[in-house]
Amino acid sequence: MLSRSAERLYWLARYVERTENTARLLSVYMNLMFDLPMGMELSWRYLLNITGSENIFYKLYESPTEQNTMHFLIAETRNPGSLFSSLSYARESIRTSRDEMPDEAWQLVNEMYLYTKNNTDLVSERSGRVLLLQEITQGCQRFTGFLSGAMSHDHALSFIRLGRSIERADMTTRILDIGSVLLAEDRSDQMRELESSLWIHVLKSLSAFLMYRKHRRHRINSDDVLDYLLRDKDFPRAVLHCINELQAYNNQLPNSEELKKSLKKLELFLMDMNIEQSTPSQLHDLLDYIQARLGDTHNQIESTWFLPKLET
Amino acid sequence: MPSLWDHYSVANAYDEMRSSDNLARPSSSRLSHYLNSLDGNALEARKTAAEMAILEMGITFTVYSDEGNIDRAWPFDIIPRIIEYKEWRHVETGLKQRLKALNCFIDDMYNDQTFMKEGLIPSEIITSSKNFIPECVGMHPKHGVWANICGTDLVRDIDGTFFVLEDNLRVPSGVSYMIENRVITKRVFPELLQDLNVLPVDGYPAHLLDMLVSIAPAGTHRPRIAVLTPGIYNSAYFEHAYLAQQMGAELVEGDDLVVKDDDYVYMRTINGLEKVDVIYRRIDDQFLDPEVFRKDSMLGAKGILRAWKAGKLALANAPGSGVADDKVVYSYVPEMIRYYLNESPILPNVETYLCSNPEHLDYVLKHLAELVVKPANESGGYGMLVGPHSTAAEISKFHKIIQENPRNYIAQPTLALSTCPTLCDNKLEPRHIDLRPFILQGDSSFVTAGGLTRVALQRGSLVVNSSQGGGSKDTWIINTET
Repeated sequence: MLSRSAERLYWLARYVERTENTARLLSVYMNLMFDLPMGMELSWRYLLNITGSENIFYKLYESPTEQNTMHFLIAETRNPGSLFSSLSYARESIRTSRDEMPDEAWQLVNEMYLYTKNNTDLVSERSGRVLLLQEITQGCQRFTGFLSGAMSHDHALSFIRLGRSIERADMTTRILDIGSVLLAEDRSDQMRELESSLWIHVLKSLSAFLMYRKHRRHRINSDDVLDYLLRDKDFPRAVLHCINELQAYNNQLPNSEELKKSLKKLELFLMDMNIEQSTPSQLHDLLDYIQARLGDTHNQIESTWFLPKLET
Repeated sequence: MPSLWDHYSVANAYDEMRSSDNLARPSSSRLSHYLNSLDGNALEARKTAAEMAILEMGITFTVYSDEGNIDRAWPFDIIPRIIEYKEWRHVETGLKQRLKALNCFIDDMYNDQTFMKEGLIPSEIITSSKNFIPECVGMHPKHGVWANICGTDLVRDIDGTFFVLEDNLRVPSGVSYMIENRVITKRVFPELLQDLNVLPVDGYPAHLLDMLVSIAPAGTHRPRIAVLTPGIYNSAYFEHAYLAQQMGAELVEGDDLVVKDDDYVYMRTINGLEKVDVIYRRIDDQFLDPEVFRKDSMLGAKGILRAWKAGKLALANAPGSGVADDKVVYSYVPEMIRYYLNESPILPNVETYLCSNPEHLDYVLKHLAELVVKPANESGGYGMLVGPHSTAAEISKFHKIIQENPRNYIAQPTLALSTCPTLCDNKLEPRHIDLRPFILQGDSSFVTAGGLTRVALQRGSLVVNSSQGGGSKDTWIINTET
């Protein structure tokens, strides 16, 4: 397949996954905020921190109120990281990949895009926002589900899966960053009491709550949740599982030797790392390190398959 | 009982659905009757449903001046235009005949030039044509066919006769909209299509693929086919992607292609370079190959003409085909049919005055207010004058520019283009239409069942181009005899 097409499909999958993850993150964060007593350390501002968008936010808005933050993260066209921006990029990628995918795939993305575009006023109040985020999450799942039933297991699908897995792994590490607040040394007693309920929200944001219960059977505590979401081999959104998927899809593609080596290294690192009793800053550094390796992986995917080779 | 048709006016033009005494034509009687069973609101509801479908399916075209808004929804009128099957068979035969003659002409112009030598066309018309490409001299594309894909614009005059308005032999567009229009109609009027014997239109991509395979360089087994697009900002990008998808061909941009020293064309894939055998190019000649044509072109691929000349790549349409896509050359097509095919033309031309001819020029300048003046080489309805709809200032401006470059202008009488009922604010009103069928020629010929009907949505307007505020309609070829 054309390098150009491969690149567009890869980004399509990343943006659809990012759209879904943003919707999940925001829904769960909203729930978390409603559960917490007033005056707790967790604020809307923290959401900007996790999504790495504080700088742009303060260029456009004065204060991180619920309304402003939500509008900025969901509907703001000037925020390249907003849900609507991700959806627009996904739509643009699939619009230019129509020779690679069944028509329905395009229509699913296009419908989601139109829905969001026509319903941005829903974002201003909580009930409307819940509805919109739910609709988007389901729309992304419809898209993913449709592909699994309609696309041959060929190179095109491998690039879609590479994009999805790398984006998933990245988002899981970002959501776990919430944990560095939960573990802060100077956290209030009240916060300590709510700890397990906060971790439940983290699990739920990744649809991991039931699977965690089923497979770990522990009471919920930070070490176990971290371990589960970073290196469970079977849970689809666990980082290690995503790395294993990247390895599998990579093996189906030509010229995959170099990437194979570095994915192996990342896999070993995840299996060997020590996360018990981490301090917040240790945890943060660890997650940062994983994110940087995922960035390297992306660059390697790009240089192996997407960049036009100049030799003629 | 009051009828939807009571206030419909069929004056001053041939109406496709209603006769001059406002009765339904036989092929349209079912549709006329059916529409009458719906009230204005029901029609509007169907129109809204069609608009929703267009948005969801993402059927778009691009207007360059729309800043920040790449796509515009395709303007579509839900009332179909109907042509009787028997009449259509006649038109179809005429279109095939015409394209055959045009291809003989192009092949002749790049080789022996007998048509010119026998004095049937003045040689300066060819030598002064910016679409004549000297690099193509001596070439003989497979089957002797240069223009493999042609979009011919037809109009009906006041008595209902079909005339050929122009032949688009360079990169004609619109065929994907023809197919999508039918998809929408099936969603909007499912009950109606079921009962009528309407010819399907969705076979086009398969015929296009067969044609492209038939022109592959000799000795290629299972040729690799690509559609070459100028990219996502081109107004017809939707169509390029659509056709590539429907044919299972690769959609490539200039950057994706490399011509190596062996004169073969390769595309950049995840496996490295892979050979391409046939390219359906949707880029104009002048941008096709910066090695030969415009050096600043970012759209084409360097060396593509070299590959074509070496016989290692088939290009549809062949470079240089545009020499016959010129409104001056157009006026010689009936003569070409007689000369090359020894047949009489089945479809008439519109009477055409060539401003390069001093007698014609004199007539044109005196009658500008009645004529339509067109530049010989433009498409998309740009740079033309519709005399009866123009101000004195516009007319005097054309008076001047025609004299500056007479070769570049032709004039035709203003035709009373046929009308078709069109939904305007809850009511059906007549609007002027034309028709663009698509003709393929490779080892055999094919004509679409009908084509793309374009409609001028403004009352009285004769300009149907989508870039100029026109819309489109589904076109039904109905066999009433079975």
